[in-house]
Amino acid sequence: MLPTRQTIIAIIADEARIEADKLEPEATLDSLGIASLDVMSVLFVIEEKFDVIIQQEDIAATDTLGQFVDVIFAKVAAI
Amino acid sequence: MKRRVVVTGLGCVSGLGQDADETWRRIAVGDGAIRELTLPRGDDTIALTVRGPAAPIDCLHTGRIEARFATRAIGKLDPLARFAIAAATEAVEQAKLFGSPVLDERTSILLGCGSGGNATFEIGYRRLFEHGIGKAHPQTIPNGMISAPASQIAMLLGIHGPAMVLSSACASSAHAIGEAMHMIRAGRVDVSIAGGAEACLTLGSWMAWHSLGAMATDTCRPFSIDRQGLVLGEGAAMLVLEEREHAVARGAAILAELIGYGSSSDARHITTPDRAGIERAIRAAHADAELPLDAPILISSHGTGTRLNDATEAAALQAVYGPALAANTVIATKSAHGHLIGASGALEFLIGLIALQKGLAPPIINHLATDPACALPLALSAQAIDHKHLVSNSFAFGGLNAVLIGRVA
Repeated sequence: MLPTRQTIIAIIADEARIEADKLEPEATLDSLGIASLDVMSVLFVIEEKFDVIIQQEDIAATDTLGQFVDVIFAKVAAI
Repeated sequence: MKRRVVVTGLGCVSGLGQDADETWRRIAVGDGAIRELTLPRGDDTIALTVRGPAAPIDCLHTGRIEARFATRAIGKLDPLARFAIAAATEAVEQAKLFGSPVLDERTSILLGCGSGGNATFEIGYRRLFEHGIGKAHPQTIPNGMISAPASQIAMLLGIHGPAMVLSSACASSAHAIGEAMHMIRAGRVDVSIAGGAEACLTLGSWMAWHSLGAMATDTCRPFSIDRQGLVLGEGAAMLVLEEREHAVARGAAILAELIGYGSSSDARHITTPDRAGIERAIRAAHADAELPLDAPILISSHGTGTRLNDATEAAALQAVYGPALAANTVIATKSAHGHLIGASGALEFLIGLIALQKGLAPPIINHLATDPACALPLALSAQAIDHKHLVSNSFAFGGLNAVLIGRVA
């Protein structure tokens, strides 16, 4: 079953230890305090859960949380 | 003039209780935390389960931490860091140091841990060895490393001074407290958050301890006839140590004074205790504290409940104190909270200080009958005491010994 964007945001909230309601799509990862290690942790869990591979370069250009979720969503949806 | 070191805050979590008050309330009445535990906890996907006596923390209460810090503070951390943060938060709260400028650059963090994040590493290795998955969670190292608790506490409290974890197996946190005392005496800092943590109640760690043949199958019976061995516990204990004038100037409540520390290395065997090494550490602590060997004292023994350790410690105490030993009172609190390995020294020193304050020696529980090889003035029931000094012993595997001496404020 395909995850919803909500599922992905919940994983980000869990891995980066941020309350989900603070995760505004326009906010940058930086401003949310999501460090590169948190990004790695999120990708690790997504890959595990949805059997997908997401490369570093796939997310290299993402700046905001919304863009980050978009990339993950597209990758997962393409399985 | 020598800079004196006092204790202005205490905090602890263990199977016995999730703060110093609850811990004391239970131990004072002989209520122990050892019960049967099944490992692994909360995971039914592993084919192997083991059962045995242990003193676990079933669920860490995080209210005190969440009241101070964001949820993010402890969310995904290994229990090792979670325990350490809980105990440190309580201790710093009691010392009324939250928001104090001294935390910035004039405070150190010195913790003792026997091992790192066992749960984190075991989960990581399970993926590799059991499932053949060649990828580990990116937080495996940052969460599992033995120094993580010091870093996490530093981040939460904004401490920019010296911070580290030192390791000497079962004496780790006693060494940490002693070395922290020297940091303050030397003028490097005015405050130190010192203590230790251990989170060793995991399947892999358990099996490794078990294979040593040092674990009891019934319970922990320090200095008793028919004692079988140690029982593992888990948790953390922290003290806020402070330079006396600094504490007085800010009107802090002084709970006790840390007046001596002795440490030694047996340089003899990786598991067998050595009476001479133990004696050296006790004598060194007395010399440092300038406390005569015939002063009546409360002795918080290392008292693990293993046949060899207890007999060796008893012989060392008899040799050091001679006839004066009879006027002392010996407690062995591992009978109630189990062996917290790296955190034991700090928890036992903390309980011993409260015992001095309250004038009550908590009872050694689970004791069946006297072992002639352990003839000591044991507190087998709760005993009123008027000792002014505490000598707290920690003698680790590998012959690393640390003895702390405290006195009532």
